[in-house]
Amino acid sequence: MGETPTSNFVLIIKHDTENIECQQRNITENSAIYSPSRFWACFLRCKMQRLGASKIVQIDFMPKEQVTYSKETQTPVASDQPEGKELFYLYLIINMDIQLNSGFTHETNLEEENAQEAEEGKKNHNQPRELTNEEKEQIIHSEDFLFFFDQSIRVMERVLAEDTDIFFDYSGRDMEDKEGDMQAGSNLSFNRHFYDEHWSKHRVVTSLDWSPQYPELLVASYNTNEDAPHEPDGVVLVWNMKYKKTTPEYIFHCQSSVMSVGFAQFHPNLVIGGTYSGQIALWDNRSHRRTPVQRTPLSATAHTHPVYCVNVVGTQNANNLITVSTDGKMCSWSLDMLSQPQESMELIYNKSKPVAVTCMAFPASDVNNYVVGSEEGTVYTASRHGSKAGIGEMFDGHQGPVTGISCHNAVGPVDFSHLFTTSSFDWTVKLWSTKHNKPLYSFEDNADYVYDVMWSPVHPALFATVDGNGRLDLWNLNNYTEVPSASVTVEGGCALNRVRWASGGREVAVGDSEGRVWIYDVGEQLAVSHTDDWSKFARTLMEIRANRGDGEEEGALELPA
Amino acid sequence: MEEFHSGDEVSFSPDEASNVVKECIEGIIGGVDYSQNKVNQWTASIVEHTLTQLVKQGKPFKYIVNCAVMQKSGAGLHTANSCYWDTTTDGSCTVRWENRTMYCVVSVFAVAIAL
Repeated sequence: MGETPTSNFVLIIKHDTENIECQQRNITENSAIYSPSRFWACFLRCKMQRLGASKIVQIDFMPKEQVTYSKETQTPVASDQPEGKELFYLYLIINMDIQLNSGFTHETNLEEENAQEAEEGKKNHNQPRELTNEEKEQIIHSEDFLFFFDQSIRVMERVLAEDTDIFFDYSGRDMEDKEGDMQAGSNLSFNRHFYDEHWSKHRVVTSLDWSPQYPELLVASYNTNEDAPHEPDGVVLVWNMKYKKTTPEYIFHCQSSVMSVGFAQFHPNLVIGGTYSGQIALWDNRSHRRTPVQRTPLSATAHTHPVYCVNVVGTQNANNLITVSTDGKMCSWSLDMLSQPQESMELIYNKSKPVAVTCMAFPASDVNNYVVGSEEGTVYTASRHGSKAGIGEMFDGHQGPVTGISCHNAVGPVDFSHLFTTSSFDWTVKLWSTKHNKPLYSFEDNADYVYDVMWSPVHPALFATVDGNGRLDLWNLNNYTEVPSASVTVEGGCALNRVRWASGGREVAVGDSEGRVWIYDVGEQLAVSHTDDWSKFARTLMEIRANRGDGEEEGALELPA
Repeated sequence: MEEFHSGDEVSFSPDEASNVVKECIEGIIGGVDYSQNKVNQWTASIVEHTLTQLVKQGKPFKYIVNCAVMQKSGAGLHTANSCYWDTTTDGSCTVRWENRTMYCVVSVFAVAIAL
């Protein structure tokens, strides 16, 4: 009848023929005849069923960690009667011991009278006042006594363990019966091994280092003992070569497995460890604590992955601790302040993913450039500062993760510091020069994963390798390049994880997977270098390079005359 | 005709909103350091700009914009929020932004207007 009105609402229109005209008017005036509340109510009811709770959105800003550290210095205290105190403590120990055993009965052969007088006289003069048990307990727990006791037991242990031969005849008459020159004949002879029933059992030796200040001290780090979950995960023991005692000089531990350890080169009292959790722990042998005195924080600015390489580089006054973890992060720290790294860098090759570093080495006297080996089997050079800071060249050659890397560090007339060797899971050890991307030579005498390699610190052509069969090999490249010049399988045949030359180049320490550290003496003919060894090695290198020109690494190499 | 499309189920796009918010924040406190006497202005303008930009998109939503600016002083801050609404059409987005001296958190909640 009328036009359909255009309106903005859906209407329910009541048709009422009587009121159409008024309705039309009403409609154009936009007054609705529907009932709005009922409309919205049923609309809403349908919607209600679709409501649900959203996810909880949380925002966190972490508070800044307050780090405090304090350094103490103490002027030397001039003590008046040190001897007096020590004598007193000794007397106390003896006193208590006598009490326990026999009391003060003093039997002599003198006649009773004299005996009695003498005794009484003695008792009056020599016998001091008897201390009560409480006083004794107090003294035993005092700081002074504990310090004295700690120092004395070390000395006593060393003395008791010595078993030098007092009948040794220097004129050599006794030696005639024995077979010739035993010592000089063997190139590699077993010296001793270090093992602690409590602390090193069932733990793998993860790292070794010799002390630069005290050549007889060796530090070894161990990882978790799965059989003893309540013991600390990471253990570091300092062993002493000089004395025959079989207990460690110092015992340190921390909550996470220690993967790499080293003596701080310019701080004789500090031992640095890199752990599985990414923390760097610092132990001090001046404190009585076995736990680290300083630790780096577990934060994204430091390391969050296991740290397999720790190294102190620099000079006495300007040194840094360089640490690299398996996520490719290199951090440089100052030993005074481990709360945050001085600088940190991500080692990325070719702008793609970071390098998973398993080992690192600095060439002798270089603080800027270093070489790293990675899990993928590639080796890279890297530098800390400069326009090319970060990863430089890539060296491809290994087919398995690189386990050990060592830069040539013997100093002599010819400079071989561009040479380095690497060991890998692919059963080979390769010789490289920083000037070529491909290996110079590949040593393939092993039949298992090669776990570590290290150049001798004194002989230019000598290096040691250890593998998973328990074999320790010494390669002298001036003698043979295809087989090791000396080889020994460690007792028990456990896989050997680490090898370290002592700084004199006469001893080699190897750590195995059962927590034992074996020390081998290297015979003079092999270990000591002669002046012509340097030029001989230079010739050997030239021959290696010449033969390599074909690109074949497995070809037979002509032995130098 | 109506301004809004009828019959379409429009749902909130957190990514778009988050871009809008980020541009607003950058524009207002982009390169400046925390300043006690200016921070009130900043929060007010961030909220205002964000809201106008969102409304300009012309979508059928009611918006709630919340902005918090906190000076970096070593203290920790933790907030959480949750909503009970129509999860198919409604949504929220939270943007965290920081510079050397301050943190800024802006939350945008969008509730669809039922037709």
